[in-house]
Amino acid sequence: MAADAEVEVRNPSGLHARPAATFVRASAAFTADVTVTNLTRDAARSASAKSVLGVMGLAVARGHRVRIAADGADADEAVTQLVALIAAGLGEEIDGE
Amino acid sequence: MSRELRGTPAAPGVVVAAPWIYRVSPPGDAVALPLADASDAAADEIGALAARLRDGGRESEAEILDAQAMMAIDPSLHSAANDLIAGGADPDRAILEAGEAVAASFEAMGDEILAARGADVRDVTTRIARIMIGGVAPRLDRRSVVVAVDLPPSVTVELDRALLVGIALEGGSRTSHAAILSRSLGIPAVVGVDGLCAAAATVSELGLDGEAGTVYLEPDAGTSLHLDRAARTSASRAELDAEFAASPLATADGHRVTCAANIGEPAEAEAAFASGAEAIGLFRTEFAFAGRATAPDEALQAAAYAKVLRASGGAEVVFRLADIGGDKPIGYLRIDPEANPFLGVRAIRLAERHPDLLPTQIRAILRASADAGQRTSIMAPMVADEADLELVLRLVADASAIVADAPVPRVGIMVEVPSAVLLADRLAPRVEFMSIGTNDLTQYLLAADRSNAALAARQDPLHPAVLRAIARVVDAARAAPGCEVAVCGEMAGDPVGAQLLVGLGVSELSMEPRAFGAVKRAVGARALPDLIALATAAQQLSAAAEVRRTVESAS
Repeated sequence: MAADAEVEVRNPSGLHARPAATFVRASAAFTADVTVTNLTRDAARSASAKSVLGVMGLAVARGHRVRIAADGADADEAVTQLVALIAAGLGEEIDGE
Repeated sequence: MSRELRGTPAAPGVVVAAPWIYRVSPPGDAVALPLADASDAAADEIGALAARLRDGGRESEAEILDAQAMMAIDPSLHSAANDLIAGGADPDRAILEAGEAVAASFEAMGDEILAARGADVRDVTTRIARIMIGGVAPRLDRRSVVVAVDLPPSVTVELDRALLVGIALEGGSRTSHAAILSRSLGIPAVVGVDGLCAAAATVSELGLDGEAGTVYLEPDAGTSLHLDRAARTSASRAELDAEFAASPLATADGHRVTCAANIGEPAEAEAAFASGAEAIGLFRTEFAFAGRATAPDEALQAAAYAKVLRASGGAEVVFRLADIGGDKPIGYLRIDPEANPFLGVRAIRLAERHPDLLPTQIRAILRASADAGQRTSIMAPMVADEADLELVLRLVADASAIVADAPVPRVGIMVEVPSAVLLADRLAPRVEFMSIGTNDLTQYLLAADRSNAALAARQDPLHPAVLRAIARVVDAARAAPGCEVAVCGEMAGDPVGAQLLVGLGVSELSMEPRAFGAVKRAVGARALPDLIALATAAQQLSAAAEVRRTVESAS
């Protein structure tokens, strides 16, 4: 079973350090293989959502669009929840709200 | 015969102890572990350090270590290392190499925040490699001055605080991470000491004077006596000052003056407020522009500025627009070499050749202000006349129209060019504050180059000419309702200078937080009428040294 979705990263520090760690911890809870792609910087390059170094290495800054793709038994749920987590700001406040 | 090495004072205090030289991988007698187990052990060690920081209330530093603990068990790091091992590499070299590759890739992305994380990755893989070869964690076994080229943050935290009595670094600056940490921990430190590591390896004892910036190798009897005395004076002065650090900055008869801090990095804000700062009177923003290949964009600057606003809890933060010039070249601006950069195309004078520089910075400040829902203060350096001020007011108005959701900022100027002193009555009605930069004002007023050691004696802001210039600025502000006068040069952090400034009528003193106690003690020792009389009399003297003697001996 496979699923994917796109979302804009809107929290101030993007997927650096702490927000990256929050995201990777959440990804690790799913059995599906989950990958992230930074569509704004390089749509041809993906990283495992379960690797903090891989996610940080995508250099996702505020305003970048990312694609979350999952493959496995809980793929749908993984994509839905991870997209919601990014949309909600990964524990950081989003300006204008 | 003791030898001495000179460096930069980084944290006050005087101490004599054995040198302990930090080595990345000390040989040890712990059991060697395979990669997977060593990585788990490293993650556990880092987790324990994070917990220790958290117990000490240092949440933001703990979060850096949390991320490092995750890096230690990162599957991509392990598969890269295992590939190298399969190719015949030594396992401990393989993890270091895998970490180096990740760090290099971070640094190649042209993203400053990410590049800084490269050092965190190296810190982690160094720890794993050390555990793999059976090396033990760095440990002090007696009172020690820690000697290193540079000290990674996780190591500074790991060392036993009861035995770590001083830090001496061959590299680093006053604003390097280790220096900031040593000030916040109260450990005397000297940084930027050439030849230190090689010299320290041959001696059994080091003396360290964190106020003078001196390291003594194998101090002899005479030097030890001198250091003992300096240590006692420093300790008793620090004790007295500490008693005053928490009290308000006020004269003996209760006249209040705002006690503000000068900072040069966002990370310094939290410690400044913890030390009792009521405001950030000077936030130097050059850090955002230095050490980069390209100009920092609005979002990157806004994120850095927001950190200071978050730490401020609503208190005033004065952002000084970038004071960049030929003395500290910034590669991507391609500033031509100048014969005299202090009189050259610097600060707001760059606006013509680099039309995006200041607008981007002002928008970033306003963006951070809007995000925090907090009003900010914007201060323009090197304003010489009304045309300069008009440029700044126009840039702020343009940026405000774009970042429309930001609260209207307070706008002020730095008074450091002598023409601005003479024109203060024309400038004051159009700004909300003027902050006197006494370091540059002194060098410009007395035509004495700050970087020329032969002229050091002419660099004293207590000079009657400087006092008269300050009095003139204060008078101009008094005639312009709503314009306040602050001082953000070294003079504000000098107990004698601070007394004179309060007597001259300055309403805010902005200084390095470590000066708070000494300044509050000095200002609190006298009533306002006495300080006014002293400041008036001092303007009639003929030399800076005479002014200092007069203030110190007045009772």
